[in-house]
Amino acid sequence: MRTLRLLVLFALTVGLVTLLGDMTAAAQPANKKDKRNKKQHDPVPAVTPAPAVPAKPITGSVGPKDAAALARLIDEHITRKLTEGKVTPSPVCSDAEFLRRTYLDLTGVIPSSDKARAFLDSADPAKRAKLVDELLDSPNFGRHLADIWQPKLMRRDSGNRFVLREPFVKWLEDSFNKNTPWNVFVFNLLTASGTAEENPAVTYFLANRSVDKLTDGVAQHFLGVQLQCAQCHNHPFTEWKQAEYWGMAEFFSKVRAENPKNPNQGGDNSKIGVQEGPIRTKARDFFPESAKTVPAKLLGGPSPNLAPTEPYRPVLARWMTAPDNPYFARAMVNRTWALLFGTGFVNPVDDMHDENTPSHPELLAALARNFADNGFDVKYLYRAVCATQAYQRTSRPVSGNEKDDHLFSHLTVKVLSPHQLYDSLAAVTGLDKAPAEAAGKAGNPKRGPANPRDGFVQFFLAGAEAASPTEYEAGIPQALKLMNSRVTGNPALIRQFAAPGDQPAVVFERIYLTALSRRPTPAEVKRLTEYVSKAGTPAEAYGDILWAVLNSSEFTMVR
Amino acid sequence: MFSERLSELSRRKFLQLTAAGVGAASMSGWLEVLAARAGAAPAPTAAKARSCILLWMDGGPSHKDTLDLKPGSKGAGDFKPIQTSAPGIEISEHLPGFAKVMKHGVLVRGMSTPEGAHPRAKYNLHTGYREGQGGLIYPSIGSIVAAETGKPESSVPAFVSIGSRSFGSGFLGPKYQPLLVQDPVRGVEDLKAVVGDARFDKRVTLLEEMETAFQGEYRAGAITDHKTTYERAVKLMHSKEAKAFDLTLEPAADKSKYGTGKFAEGVLMARRLVEIGVPFVEVTLGGWDTHQDNFDKVKALSGQIDPPIAALIEDLKARGLLDRTLVVWMGEFGRTPNINTRGAKPGRDHYPKAWSLAMFGGGVRGGRVVGKTDADGAAVVDQKVGTADFLATVCELMGIDHTKKNDTPAGRPISIVDKPKPFTSLIV
Repeated sequence: MRTLRLLVLFALTVGLVTLLGDMTAAAQPANKKDKRNKKQHDPVPAVTPAPAVPAKPITGSVGPKDAAALARLIDEHITRKLTEGKVTPSPVCSDAEFLRRTYLDLTGVIPSSDKARAFLDSADPAKRAKLVDELLDSPNFGRHLADIWQPKLMRRDSGNRFVLREPFVKWLEDSFNKNTPWNVFVFNLLTASGTAEENPAVTYFLANRSVDKLTDGVAQHFLGVQLQCAQCHNHPFTEWKQAEYWGMAEFFSKVRAENPKNPNQGGDNSKIGVQEGPIRTKARDFFPESAKTVPAKLLGGPSPNLAPTEPYRPVLARWMTAPDNPYFARAMVNRTWALLFGTGFVNPVDDMHDENTPSHPELLAALARNFADNGFDVKYLYRAVCATQAYQRTSRPVSGNEKDDHLFSHLTVKVLSPHQLYDSLAAVTGLDKAPAEAAGKAGNPKRGPANPRDGFVQFFLAGAEAASPTEYEAGIPQALKLMNSRVTGNPALIRQFAAPGDQPAVVFERIYLTALSRRPTPAEVKRLTEYVSKAGTPAEAYGDILWAVLNSSEFTMVR
Repeated sequence: MFSERLSELSRRKFLQLTAAGVGAASMSGWLEVLAARAGAAPAPTAAKARSCILLWMDGGPSHKDTLDLKPGSKGAGDFKPIQTSAPGIEISEHLPGFAKVMKHGVLVRGMSTPEGAHPRAKYNLHTGYREGQGGLIYPSIGSIVAAETGKPESSVPAFVSIGSRSFGSGFLGPKYQPLLVQDPVRGVEDLKAVVGDARFDKRVTLLEEMETAFQGEYRAGAITDHKTTYERAVKLMHSKEAKAFDLTLEPAADKSKYGTGKFAEGVLMARRLVEIGVPFVEVTLGGWDTHQDNFDKVKALSGQIDPPIAALIEDLKARGLLDRTLVVWMGEFGRTPNINTRGAKPGRDHYPKAWSLAMFGGGVRGGRVVGKTDADGAAVVDQKVGTADFLATVCELMGIDHTKKNDTPAGRPISIVDKPKPFTSLIV
C-alpha cells in the first residue's frame, strides 16, 4: 500500500517536472538574431548592493587539533559495535596494503616504485602517519578531491557544454590543497559573484542556471539531503514538505547567471559571470504558482527576515556553514568516511533522513561535532580517520566477518574510479598526459572529450555521473579497451622494466612494485619464473606478465 | 520501492555467497530470481520483435521532403511524391527503394515532441525523459533493451552503436553501454588482441591465475564481477559471432545491394548483428540539419539511405527475420514547413511540433499510417504521438514491460517509459 503511494507520488513528480521542463529550452526554433538582441536588453547589473550581513561565514575559535585523540574516539565507537555484534575484526593491514590504499584514497594515484620500495623498507615505526602527512601535503590531494567534486558541482549536460571547466577545477584543487576550511569553501562557493575569470567559483552558478538545479545540488552535496522529490510534492518518507523546497529555492531567486556562448562563434566564456541583483530574476518564473508566495525558509528552520534589496545567498550560506547547522558537518564527515571506507554511516551518502538510520549514530554525531569544533579542517579529518585501527585493517575478511558490510570489521575492496584508473595506468605506462592547452576546453560533445584523460573517464563512466566504489560496473567495451588497446598493449612498454640480461626475479619485483606497490610473493616468483622459462623470449614473457598485472583485479581495485 | 531495495539486498547477498565460494551459483541463477519477480507484470504475449535496428538520422530530417510531402502547400519544396508499394501511401520521389518496401512498414506522421534544440531533443527521443529532469541521467532505449532482453552470460553484445557514440546507459550503469563501432570497415574497437592468439591465451591463463589467487584472499563481489566481465569480453573475441563485425566476410553480391558509404556499411553490419541475435543496433547518419541548401542536401542524403534501407528490409524478409526485427528510421525532430529566407540556398529550421518516422518489421502490419498533419505539414491534426508514446510502442513490440521501474543508484524507482499512450494496437 505504502509502496503504491510512493510510486504514485513519484509519478507525479516526474510529470510535473516534465511540465516545468527547462525553461531555457525553447520548443520552437528561436531566430538566432532575436535571441541575441534579447540578450543585450538583459545585462548583468554592474553593481552589487552592499550586503546587510557581512559576507563571511561564522567561525568559532579553534583550540589545538588532536587527530590522534579523534582516531581513538572513532575506534572506541567502532570496536564497541563490533563487540556488540560479536563480529571479529580483521587484523591490521600490511604496509603494502596501507601504502597503495592511502596513495589512492588521498591522492588518486598509485605510488612510484621508488616510493613503494622506500616505504616498504623503512623501519620507522611512525612511517604510516608520516606517509599520510606527506600525501595530504601533495598537490595530488587537491587534484583527487577536485576529480570527485567537479562532476557533482558541474554536471555534464548540454546546457554546460560551453562552460569553462579548467579554471573551476583549478580553483577546487587550490582550495583543497590550501585546506580552506570546509565551511569557508562552501560559503565562498555559494556566494560567488563576478566573472568566471575573476572568480572561478561562479562556475557553480554558470553550470547550474536554474533554481531547481541549485536547490537540489546544494541540499544533496552540502547538506546530505535529497530534496528534489519535494519540488513537486511533499516528500514521501521524510519531513520535507513542498514549501520547504521552494523556501530554499527562494534564496537563489535573485541570482543572475549569464548564458555561456558557443566559442566557435566568438563567445568568450571567461568573461561571463554571476551576480546577485537587487531584484528577482526570471528564475522566479520557474516557480509553480503555489510556490510563488512561499517565503525564503531555511531547511527545517525559520524564515529569516530578508530586506528585499539585500542579497539572499549569504544568509543561506551563513546558516548552512555555521558550526551548529544540523546537516552540514554531518554530511561532510559521512561523505569523507564513505570515500575512505567505500560505504558511509548513512547510505546513499546524500540521502540522510530519519528513516535512513546511520550504522553508527553516536559516532557520526561525535565526528560531525568534532569536525565543526576543529574549524571544518578537512585534512585534519583525513589525518584522524587514516590513523584509526578501523582504516588500517586489512580488507581480507576473517572467519565470521565475511558478510559484515556496515560494522567496518575489514576494509571494503574498492574499485578504482575512472580517474584513479587512468592516472594509475599512466603512472605505470607513461600514457600521454593531457596537453595543458587541450585541457582548457570543456570538451565539445560533437568533437569528443577535450583530452585523453577526460575521454578515458567518459568512456568508463558511460554517461553515469560517478562510478560506485563497491561494485565493478565496467562492461565488455571497457574490458576490451584495457586488454587490447595501446593502454596495456604497447609492446615497447616492457623495456622500462627489463633490460637484456636482467634476472627474472628483479624484473618481477620492478613490475610488481610499480603496478601493485608490493613485491611478489615467493610462490608468485616461482610461478612467474616457470612462465618465463616456457616462453619464447624473456621479453615476451615479461610483456605478458605486465599485461596480466595491469588487467588484474588487484590493479583495478584498492585492497 | 522497498521491494526494489530488497532485490538489491538479495543481489548483494548473492555476490557475497559467490564471493565466499558457496556452491556454483551462476549469474543466471540470480537473473532467474529477478525474472520471477518481474513475472508479476507479464509482457504482452503477442510481441514478436527480438531485435531492433534504429537508423538514426542525426540533425532532424525534413518530414515535408521525405515521408510527409505536401504538394501545393506553402513551402512545399521541389520534391514530387511517388506511390509506394502500400496503397495510398506516397513518399518522396528520392526514396524509390523505401517506397518499394513500404508495404512492410508503417509511417508515423503524428510525431509531436517537446524539444527543439539538438542535444536536448536527441536525449529526449533516446531516453523518453527530458535532460536534467529529476536530476538523473536516463538510459537510452538501446541500453533499456540491452538491460531488459540481453543475456548477461552471452558473448554477444546486447547493444551496438555504429557511427556515433549515441546515448549511453545512464543510471543503469556501464554494463549496458553500447559497444561502439566507429567505422564499420574497421569493426569493433579493440576486439583484436595486440598479440597472436596462442600468446593471448597464455596471457589470459596467467590473468585467471592472478584473479583466482586475489579472489581467494579478498573474497569481494567486485572481484567476481571483474572476472565475469573479462570472461565475456574474451569469449566475444574468440566467438564466431565476432565475425558478424567483419564485413569482408559478406558476399560481394549481397554487399553491393546496400550501396556504398559508411551508412550503407553500417546498415549491412546491423543486419549481420541481428542475425547473430544482437538485441539492439543503432546506426547513425549525420547531415540532416539542413538550415541551408535543404533540397540539394536532402536529395543527396535520400540517395545515401535509400538503397541500404531497401536492401535491409528485403534481406530481413528473405531470411525470415523481418518479423522478429523492428527497424526504425527517425531523427530528433522534423523541419519547418516553411522555407527560411537566409542565404543563397535557403533551408528549413528545427521543428519538433509535427514530424514523421518510419517503422518496419517487428510484427507490424505494413502499409499503415499513424497520425496526420494539416495541409502545410505544420500541425498534427489526428493521432498525435509523443516521445513516451513512441518509445512505449517500441517496448511493446519487443515484449518489454515499459511500466517496469528500474532503481537508480540512490534507490529511486523510475519507469522505463513515463505515462505513455502506446499505439501498438494500431499497427499490429
